[in-house]
Amino acid sequence: MPYPDLPKDFPDRYRSVWVDIDPALYDPAVGHRVYNEYIDQLEYAASVGFDGVGINEHHSNAYGLMPSPNLIASTLARSTSDAAIVVLGDSVALYNPPIRVAEEMAMLDGISGGRLVAGFPVGSPMDTVFAYGTNPATLRERYHEGMELIQQAWTRDDVFAFNGRYNKLRYVNCWPRPVQKPHPPIWIPGGGSVDTWDYCAENDLVYCYLSYFGYKAGLATMQGFWNKMDELGKPRNPFQGAFAQFVGVADSEKEAYELYREPAEYFFNSCLHVYAGFADPPGYKTPNTVRSGVEGMVERAAREATARSEAKAEAKAAPKAPRPAASQAMPFETMVEKGYVIIGSPDQVIEKLTEVGTSMNVGHLLTLAHFGNMDNELVRHNTELLARKVLPEVQPLFEHEWEDKWWPKPLPTAQRAEPAR
Amino acid sequence: MSAVSTAFTARQLPFRGGTVKVVEAGEGPVVGYLHGMVGLPSGELPPLLAELAADHRVIAPSLPGFTGSSYLDELRVLFDWVVALSELVDVCGMVGAPVVASSVGAMLALELAAVRPEAFSHLVALAPMGLWDGDDPVADAFGTTMTEQRAMLTADPAATARFFDDDPAVTDPAERIELGVSRYLTRTSAASLVWPIPEHGFDQRAHLVRNAVSLVWGTADRLVPPSYSDRFAAVLPNVAGRYRVNEAGHLVDWDRPIEVAAIVRTALG
Repeated sequence: MPYPDLPKDFPDRYRSVWVDIDPALYDPAVGHRVYNEYIDQLEYAASVGFDGVGINEHHSNAYGLMPSPNLIASTLARSTSDAAIVVLGDSVALYNPPIRVAEEMAMLDGISGGRLVAGFPVGSPMDTVFAYGTNPATLRERYHEGMELIQQAWTRDDVFAFNGRYNKLRYVNCWPRPVQKPHPPIWIPGGGSVDTWDYCAENDLVYCYLSYFGYKAGLATMQGFWNKMDELGKPRNPFQGAFAQFVGVADSEKEAYELYREPAEYFFNSCLHVYAGFADPPGYKTPNTVRSGVEGMVERAAREATARSEAKAEAKAAPKAPRPAASQAMPFETMVEKGYVIIGSPDQVIEKLTEVGTSMNVGHLLTLAHFGNMDNELVRHNTELLARKVLPEVQPLFEHEWEDKWWPKPLPTAQRAEPAR
Repeated sequence: MSAVSTAFTARQLPFRGGTVKVVEAGEGPVVGYLHGMVGLPSGELPPLLAELAADHRVIAPSLPGFTGSSYLDELRVLFDWVVALSELVDVCGMVGAPVVASSVGAMLALELAAVRPEAFSHLVALAPMGLWDGDDPVADAFGTTMTEQRAMLTADPAATARFFDDDPAVTDPAERIELGVSRYLTRTSAASLVWPIPEHGFDQRAHLVRNAVSLVWGTADRLVPPSYSDRFAAVLPNVAGRYRVNEAGHLVDWDRPIEVAAIVRTALG
């Protein structure tokens, strides 16, 4: 849910889209409009054949206007009837106490009749340690303790005491209880931490790589997860993997270039303009991740933003010199070439998405049909083409070979309440 | 005093299931040292210790998680750190001695003095953290790039090269990686002490610090403004002296070790 009206020279005038972005850039009237448009778009996606609709959590961020995904999920739980409500997710360590997350997600599962996917990210450094002030050294311990509390709250059939390091609750009693038993499927969004691979693999949870940079760059990260599964002797069930990919469909490749250039450039050049000083606070990474040398997604975004800014500064300092190779804004052609964005005719997109699914071995593909400052009409056009011409060809991938154990199991239709209109 | 002592020992002492590094150097009356943000990097003696060791026996523990000492997950909040420091001054044999403490180390020393005054005699506090004025805030040392952080810590960024730069003598890739991890954990531990705001309610306990405290600040401190010397002086009941060091940044002992050593000798009589 990006804020669509950042000034064109935003990367030149402001140091970061996240954490300390100028509050004066936010126009509440624009916010009112786009919140309603974004909810409309999600409802539309659910109505035209998407298996689920996904939302996430960000703070102090102009590309993610969703501090509380549960608020949006609650409207979707009422206004949609069959699609999964994929909350990706609630940043557990930021809720005090995290029993609140167990309760709200149980409410969502109840309202939707058991259609919730419960996502639990550690959260980006910008969201967790800067915008919410959590000590990076204790963030992951808080997260794991919160995860333990939530799962116990959902599954235990007694009222119990929880004596954690950060959460001391004499009476834990989650009312309401989730519809799905033992609990909604749990997905763990990650950005490149090796410890998240381990956590998902060891606990049979979905590893969900929410990459900004597309399938080509994401391959190594997903492979890291599957290697961990191999190490543990566990099956490579593709449905235990999920991947996010920007997608733009048009009637032809030529038209796709015309339609999706501006929104993609807006996203990658303005929405990912992250100050490098926010990307790697000490303690956010575990020693294992430091040792591995794996660069987190946010670190990469900040590094690329810094490179763009430095190239601009160099060009400004020597205006007559030829522009350096990495200069200025990244062109759309490069984004397409690198796989950040998949665009094309329906057949071209089917081919690419099939390649994404098979090369990364992911059974849950999160197609981002909206990105950057894409206008409402184009989002609906893209969503419709995706739903009607692309997804039917991609959805069957893997489903005959593997069981999806991580998809919601809603109540039978006959038992589900019909919202009064 | 112009002689500089560079001979030292670095021992690993058992501490809570791990070890702490304790550096000792020189002969003479004992003076303790509690480091600031960059710990006690391996290799040579930190420059202030080299100066003081000329006429003192210097005892300098590396706090848990910092350079050469085991990282302890159990140190989560200030109370944990203060209790650990209380234990540490006993373990390394500096209890009751005068102490020079810098930055986060000075913050912890003041907190310990509030609840255990006999832990130190005189305290020479080099730009302590622990107070906060929203109209004149302490800068954010960790919401910055490494380059900017380094420039924030010392007036001369080269002063902390031993911490921030890779040691060219270390060529083994695995060893270089572990040194990088150690540096990361040092920064983690320092950040953990002051995240997100370096204020833990010390002004409510400052009246309990009956020890003589000397306050030393670099005039070019970009992290904790030199005006904080006034704020500490206003809440501490026994300020023995206040000193300014020109052209020195936050880690005043790394920027101007000779001048700081002279101040320490004056302060300790």
